[in-house]
Amino acid sequence: MAMALAVAPTRMELLKLRQRVGLAQKGYDLLKEKMDALVIEFFEVLKRIQEARPKALEQLSVAHRALSMCFAIVGTLETKQASKETKRELQVDVSTRHIMGIAVPAVEVGEVERNALIRGYGLHMTSSVLDEASKKFERALKLLIELAEFEESAFAIAREFEKTKRRVNALEYILIPRLKEAIKFIMMRLDEMERENFSRLKRIKAMLEERE
Amino acid sequence: MSYKIAVVGDQDTITGFALAGATYTHIHTAREETLAKLNEFFASGEIGLVLITHRVAEEFGFDFRQMLRTKGLLPLVLRIPDKTGYMPKVDELRKIIRRTVGAEIMVKKEGL
Amino acid sequence: MSSDRIIKLELSRLNLHLPERRLSLKEALLSPRPQVAARDGSVHVFKRGELEFLAGLLPEADRDKLPLPILIALEPKLGRGTARISGEVEVKVVSQVLGKEAAAGELLIYRPEVAILRRKLPTTTQYLFMW
Repeated sequence: MAMALAVAPTRMELLKLRQRVGLAQKGYDLLKEKMDALVIEFFEVLKRIQEARPKALEQLSVAHRALSMCFAIVGTLETKQASKETKRELQVDVSTRHIMGIAVPAVEVGEVERNALIRGYGLHMTSSVLDEASKKFERALKLLIELAEFEESAFAIAREFEKTKRRVNALEYILIPRLKEAIKFIMMRLDEMERENFSRLKRIKAMLEERE
Repeated sequence: MSYKIAVVGDQDTITGFALAGATYTHIHTAREETLAKLNEFFASGEIGLVLITHRVAEEFGFDFRQMLRTKGLLPLVLRIPDKTGYMPKVDELRKIIRRTVGAEIMVKKEGL
Repeated sequence: MSSDRIIKLELSRLNLHLPERRLSLKEALLSPRPQVAARDGSVHVFKRGELEFLAGLLPEADRDKLPLPILIALEPKLGRGTARISGEVEVKVVSQVLGKEAAAGELLIYRPEVAILRRKLPTTTQYLFMW
């Protein structure tokens, strides 16, 4: 938004500059409203994160404990083998919703928990300890998917906020002051020119009077 | 649209999430290899969520943050603790709050 | 690009997320996938839970008179942080959600109320910028 101060000191230019200040001011006011709205949105998502995160992390640590148990009882190799044999086709449905032009993810998770049969690790592997570990990781995954939606939304809103803030700052600290500076400059020049005119007229008048 | 899930981390983490139905997994050992895998996950159109342990994400530091910045909406990326519960001291969200919204928090508090 | 054009572009971008045509609550309730298409071509989905919540606030006869999304108009000349809700049924619903005295045809709400409204109706309300 660089602008040189090289302006012609005319009434026409003054009018144009005043219109530009008006536009810049309008842009500033609106973007400021947008920033406020983004702050509201940001804190709403933050609240959800604060609710979702502890639950998800707690479930994850429960799941890890169940897995350690499984390693100990079923065996590390056997558990790893089961994790390779199980059906691994869990799907998440991701669409978008829009907050003031920011695309934020909207995630839909179907039923994540499965029964031993659907999990599909061969029946020779069937063990309640293994099932327990799987179930707990399925639950953790469901909660983490939701958390991912909220965290990504928060990042997206924060990025838009930063962008908007940069624009607001450019208007507030660069463009608007420069335009106002240019207006002041023209007004001073116009004033000067008027004074010069005035004194020239006075001189002419004096000359005419002398001649009489 | 439906998408698949990928997990990057240590043996325990990927075993657990594989049991839960995650399609793609990668155990982090060598830096270059994991970086290539991550790029592959990010570029693949069929992955909707990448889970990565904080420990690995932190090890990749700048490179990882750069990848996050340049990716689109998808895949969603979430950093998670590993078995030991490891999380970095400085929370990524807190950092963002301080950097961007910082001063505005006061405005909001007054408003409420 | 001149600064004026950047500002004008920025202003024209402010409302691109709004739908070409709004959907009545009744239509939305009947649709298997309630959504509207925004002017920028993107799709915005309404959550069913919110639609049912709104239906619970209105008599049957008013359901086809509530256009969605409900618009929260931010207008700098109202003063920073003040928003306007217009439309008879919109005002009825919003004043119920916020527990405010119902006004006729227009309702002014303030920043904390905007936050509450957005929390309760995240997909069925949207911001509109006015100048």
